[in-house]
This record gives sequence, structure tokens and C-alpha cells, in this order.
Amino acid sequence: MGEVELSCLAYAKMYLHASQFPRCSVNGLLLSSSPAGGAVCITDCVPLLHTHLSLAPITQLALTQVDAWCSQTHQRIMGYYQANACVSDSSPTPCALKIAEKIFEQCNNAVLLMIDGEKMFPGCRVPPIVMYERKDARWALKDKHTIMLRQWEETCSIVNQLFSSGDQALLVDFDSHLDDITKDWTNQKLNAKIMELVSPANGNV
Amino acid sequence: MSSISELYDVCWEEMRDKLRKWREENYRNSEQIVDVGEELINEHASKLGDDVWIIYEQVMIAALDCSRDDLAWSCLQELKRQFPDSHRVKRLAGMRLEALERYEDANKLYDSILQDDPTNTAARKRKISILQAQGKSSEAIRELNEYLEQFVGDQEAWHELSELYINEHDYAKAAFCLEELMMTNPHNHLYCEQYAEVKYTQGGLENLELARKYFAQALKLNNRNMRALFGLYMSASHIAASPKVSAKVKKDNVKYAAWATSQISRAYQMAGRGKKENKCSVKAVEEMLESMQITMS
Repeated sequence: MGEVELSCLAYAKMYLHASQFPRCSVNGLLLSSSPAGGAVCITDCVPLLHTHLSLAPITQLALTQVDAWCSQTHQRIMGYYQANACVSDSSPTPCALKIAEKIFEQCNNAVLLMIDGEKMFPGCRVPPIVMYERKDARWALKDKHTIMLRQWEETCSIVNQLFSSGDQALLVDFDSHLDDITKDWTNQKLNAKIMELVSPANGNV
Repeated sequence: MSSISELYDVCWEEMRDKLRKWREENYRNSEQIVDVGEELINEHASKLGDDVWIIYEQVMIAALDCSRDDLAWSCLQELKRQFPDSHRVKRLAGMRLEALERYEDANKLYDSILQDDPTNTAARKRKISILQAQGKSSEAIRELNEYLEQFVGDQEAWHELSELYINEHDYAKAAFCLEELMMTNPHNHLYCEQYAEVKYTQGGLENLELARKYFAQALKLNNRNMRALFGLYMSASHIAASPKVSAKVKKDNVKYAAWATSQISRAYQMAGRGKKENKCSVKAVEEMLESMQITMS
């Protein structure tokens, strides 16, 4: 398996999601709008849950709705991310493996991304990310050098700007949507703010 | 950096009342508590009377939550000075050690409290929290079970145990804990709904039917619980689609699912009114309901 690119938009929202619920495990889906078969690019993400990650009904509901939205917007689900509540343990839980497996059934270059809470502090030089890919019937650690984060410094600065402007509070995950269905789990407003901050030099989304 | 009272145009009494509200309703909005509480303590401590001590405690805990050890330390000092031999203050000192990840020192403190007073539930719960923080879930579960044998009425503990079991995928035991909670809190729609989710996750026709019943019960107790509404829709749909059910059961469940669909559509239509931004989520729900109708028939 080759390179995987992670866009600023996807990274920023994942980071914001994990930051919004520091005491919970959180998870979400990784999306791609680039055509299947080409280079793998994670262009967006949908934050899903911060409670009861391992219970089935809401996860199933969320997957179905995100699927429906993806077909409307020409995107596809190509991965899963999770940040564990216990910061010192960033290994995939059985629930993470199960959902990643399901995604792999539909997308053969699916990725599983664990957020490493211990590296989520201001000024950390390394992306707080551990990625897994499907190899030999199991999920194996992906070589760090095949994970591309274009304009890493700029991405970090965008995340910082979101925190200082208070815009990080705009993030809505599926759980919050169920608490108040007027909230938008597709995060159109936040997406627009992030895209405003992304300079033309950052290339694609 | 302007003060809270300037930013929000509030007086110190309103700040004190807000803190009380957050205390009574057990909110964990720690950043806000720190912002409001720190200013209240620094500028108006003399006006607070005896309230000041409980506010020190509240602000200290919030400060630990926000990694503000400086503030936590100063609150702790005030409390130590006023209540030198208090177990309650000792527990707070222990919590500060926990926040600094000095778990052994914290445990020693809690053990000394328990030696003095073996019935001190707060110290026992902190010891269990330390096990959780260290990722030792099976030990935490074992200790919590032992605790509940002695303190069988502790709702918070039963709920914490159900959460631990859910994380460990031990759904049968999680269901047992939630059954205890439902028995003692029959009007709490959240326990019904969580129980239903656990049953649904366990799977199988019998569990799905139980799930549907408890989702319905949760809705009876609170007809705005969207998780329960969706849960009812999904469990009824799955039962109706199962080849093992009789024609009557299938018919009944199709009816339940249809009712749930209309309620969901109505809720989303009302939510979508005038709000441009959630059009996407509204559309996604409509598509999902349509696609599931097809699989059901």
C-alpha cells in the first residue's frame, strides 16, 4: 500500500473533536472525495461519538446516515479514527478494529487512524497520529513516511487560530446532533471557517 | 484581558449564584468555573461569607481539570488552613496528586483516610478512579463490585460500573447494572434508553424485542429522546425483516417502524425550519429512512 495524504480539513476536525471531549473516547469516519483507484487522500472527516463507542444502535445509525450523505456529495467512507480516553494508550480497541473491518469490506485501501493523546500539546513537532492499514488479513502499522501531511506547520497554525478565535466550539459530532437535532453534524459552518484559513499555497483541500 | 464581570456585565452576586447552580446541577464546565471562580475569589472573597469554602473546593476541582495547578494549590492552602484535620480536604489533596499523576502518593493519602474511617466512600471511589486512570479496568471493576456489595444504594457507582462493563464489551453485566438503576429510578428515560442500546448490541431476536420495548418506554418518559426514537425505528425494522418471525409480529413491527419514521420526519422538519445550515443532515435522514423502507418490505 502506498502513500496516504491527510488534508488540513480532516486533521483539524479530528484534533478539535478529541480536544472537545478530553475525558472521553471519541471516534469518527474518514472520507475521501478523490476517485477510487487513484492516490489515497483523506479529504474530510465526520466526528461521530463521544459516548458508548462500543454500543451498536447509534453507530449503525451514524454509518447509515454518513453513507447517505456521502452518496449525495460524491464522497466515500475510507477510514475510521479514534482517540482513547486513556491518553497513555493509543492502541486500537476491539470496537475500532470491528468498525475498520466493516469499512474495509467496502473499501480495500481503508485506513484506521488512532490519535495519540500524549502528543497533543502545543508545540509538539510530530503529528499525534498512528495509522494502520490492512495487510495479510490484519491491521498493521503503516510506515510513518508514507503518511503525508502537506504544510504541517500551516495546519498546526490553523488549529491554533481556531482555538484562539473560539471557533473550535463550532464542532458538532453525531452524538451532539442527537442531543439537539438543529445542530449540523456535517459541520458546514466550521468547514467554511477552516477553508478560509487554508491559504492557496496549501494546494488541494 | 478584561474580567468576567466586565465581559458579561454581571455583578459578584450573579457570579456566586451561577457557581451555585453549576455546583447543584453537577456541571463539569471546568473552564467556565475557573474563569468565574478565580475572579470571584480574587476580588470578592470577603463578601462571600461561609460560601467561600465550598467555592474554594469547587474552583479547586475545576482547576485540576484545566491543569491550573497554581490555582488548585492556592485553593487547597486556604482550605487546609481553615480545616486542618478534615478528611474532605485530604481527599482534595489526593485529587491534586492524581492530577499530577503521583498515584502512589495519592493512594497513600486515601489509605490513611480509610484507616481512620473505613466507611469513607469518597476515598474508596478515588482509589477506583486511580485504577481507571491507569487503564487497569478489570481491577477497577472488581473493586467497584466489592464497593457495591457494601454500598448497594450508590447510584453513581452502579452507573460507573455499567460504563466500565460496556467498555469491556461485557453487555450482560452492563445490562444487570442498568436494571438496578431502572428499578430505583423508574422515571429516568436515559437508563431505559441505555438499557435498550445494550440489549440491541447483544443481538438476537429476543434481545431486539426487549430493546424495542425499552426504547418505547424511554419515549413514553421523554418523547423528545431522539436516540430512543431512532432505536425504536431500527429495532422494529430489524424484527420485521427477520425471517424467523410470524406474520403478525412482522405486521406489528412494520407498524411501529412506520410510526417511528413519521415521528422522526416530523422532528427533522421542525428542526430544519428556517435553518439553512442543517439541510444536509435533514436530507441524509430522509435518504436513510427511504433506503431502510426498501430492505424491510
